[in-house]
Amino acid sequence: MKRIQVVALNTLREAIRDKALYVLAGFALVTILGSKAIGWISVGQDIKIVKDICLAAMSVFGALTAIFVGTNLLYKEIDKKTLYTILAQPMERYEFVIGKYLGLAALLLLDILFMTAVTVAWILVLKGEISPVFFQAVLLIYVKLLLITALSVLLSAAASPILGAVIVFCAYVFGHATEVFRDLPPQIAGTPAEPVLKTIYYIVPNLSLLDLHAYAANNVPVNPLYVFWAAVYGAGWAIAMLALACVAFENKEL
Amino acid sequence: MNEPAVEARNLTKVYKALGKRPVHSLRGLNLSIARGQVFGFLGRNGAGKTTTIKLLCGLIRPTAGEALLFGKNSAIPEARREMGYLPEQPYFYEYLTPRETVTFYSRLRGISPRQQKEQWEKLCGLLELEDIADRRIREFSKGMRQRVGFAIALVGDPELLILDEPMSGLDPVGRRLIRNAILRLKSEGKTIFFSSHVLSDVEELCDRIAILVSGSLELEGAMDNLPGRRVLQVEVIASGLDPETVAGLAAGTSHRRVEVGDEFRVNTLEEANRIAARVLDRGGTLVALRPVTETLEEYFSRVQQLAATRTGGKSE
Ligand SMILES: Nc1ncnc2c1ncn2[C@@H]1O[C@H](COP(=O)(O)OP(=O)(O)OP(=O)(O)O)[C@@H](O)[C@H]1O
Ligand SMILES: [Mg+2]
Repeated sequence: MKRIQVVALNTLREAIRDKALYVLAGFALVTILGSKAIGWISVGQDIKIVKDICLAAMSVFGALTAIFVGTNLLYKEIDKKTLYTILAQPMERYEFVIGKYLGLAALLLLDILFMTAVTVAWILVLKGEISPVFFQAVLLIYVKLLLITALSVLLSAAASPILGAVIVFCAYVFGHATEVFRDLPPQIAGTPAEPVLKTIYYIVPNLSLLDLHAYAANNVPVNPLYVFWAAVYGAGWAIAMLALACVAFENKEL
Repeated sequence: MNEPAVEARNLTKVYKALGKRPVHSLRGLNLSIARGQVFGFLGRNGAGKTTTIKLLCGLIRPTAGEALLFGKNSAIPEARREMGYLPEQPYFYEYLTPRETVTFYSRLRGISPRQQKEQWEKLCGLLELEDIADRRIREFSKGMRQRVGFAIALVGDPELLILDEPMSGLDPVGRRLIRNAILRLKSEGKTIFFSSHVLSDVEELCDRIAILVSGSLELEGAMDNLPGRRVLQVEVIASGLDPETVAGLAAGTSHRRVEVGDEFRVNTLEEANRIAARVLDRGGTLVALRPVTETLEEYFSRVQQLAATRTGGKSE
């Protein structure tokens, strides 16, 4: 437990010293503040648009951070051979994987907290109101990022960063549109493609379940029970993928 | 408590990659290293030294056989508690300083902050880290990295050190620093297993050596009694001889003045004994009578040649 914490803190420290992430955070900031410009064009709807854009910014920039840092997370350590001295310590390999993951999860948490604070302040400055559904939406965005991070770490243990990033990106896109695979157009019914596409529906996590942007923008309340089960769903996927990453890493040849 | 510090039992590694010929890097290595020894591991490039060391550190899994540290399989974390490792090219987090790096590894080993302080003092003294302690490793030269790597291997004061070419890429002063560190650790009773191409260092430091040829153990033995090592000459050193006797003895030997007196080199032990008897007879003092063996380098090359002719000149 102690060792996981040591690895996690060090991962966080690495990320904090990495300037590239500040560029991403800077972009997010510009988007959040710039949202007013778009809101201003659509007369009378500005707060709604600002909320919508801010939540989208958190989701997208968070996902980019998760993908770029996550797919490099283990790969870089293998490639740069920093692992040799670490895994020769009296520690289990899974402790290392979990530590790295938690470090990145902590980074994303800081990221989200920062963006939330900026957004809330901005909306209050614009004299808009913030309702609980906004924070529920933020929570589920974080759960989604945890899931994407776990998938990135899994691919980081098994593939190169570029391939990993492409796969996670596809999963991200498909994950937001899984109904497409369920509600197949009639031409496909009965063809060999049908079972394949149906399988995709079941193996790709349904990320749109974690998407409350529209509710938050329109101040439509969401049942807390729904939020709870959606979070459990996302966390379940994350844990499953992290477990796979640990297994893949256990037998890795260095 | 009587298990050897390191034991390889039929240790075998075959690297298999999709679409490539399997590489037999290590073939059935059997080796046992007693506690407190300094053990040199020799072999040409590609002989399988690093492969063996990675197996011993649990970084790769053996295809067959097992690697034991103090009697425990090296794949088990607990077995590595008393082991420190310096990789061939040590890499650490570039964004950390040596001080932070040592702290990081100390925490991984669960060392208390108080002990960490003591340890840091000791490492600084041994490896002269003080002046580089707070610079980012990113800016470091090879020699500085090697020192940091050595410091990490020593974190937690392990009983066994496994060092992969600890002297490579260092300047003479740096090499001496590492050599002295090894001698110091030896005097503390640590077991040290290291691979090296610098045979003069090996000759100076090691109690025993093993030579690996194409993944197979070619030979293993005590440094001062290597199987088949040639005795080239015998050296007799004496003092207190009058010039006339010296002149008499010098005839038919190779003679030179040394600090303590005169040195005579002859080709056989009989001749050496004859000279020794004469020294005593003439009231001189016998300082030393010892064999002059071929250098480790000469021995090493001969072993390689023998192995090559035996396998019909093929290197594989
Ligand atoms: N990951 C790997 N995949 C395939 N072959 C490998 C791998 N690592 C090492 N080898 C091969 O195993 C053999 C032994 O390599 P090893 O690194 O153990 O040699 P070495 O004795 O340490 O050499 P050097 O003195 O150059 O460091 C070589 O033929 C090498 O090509
Ligand atoms: Mg090597």
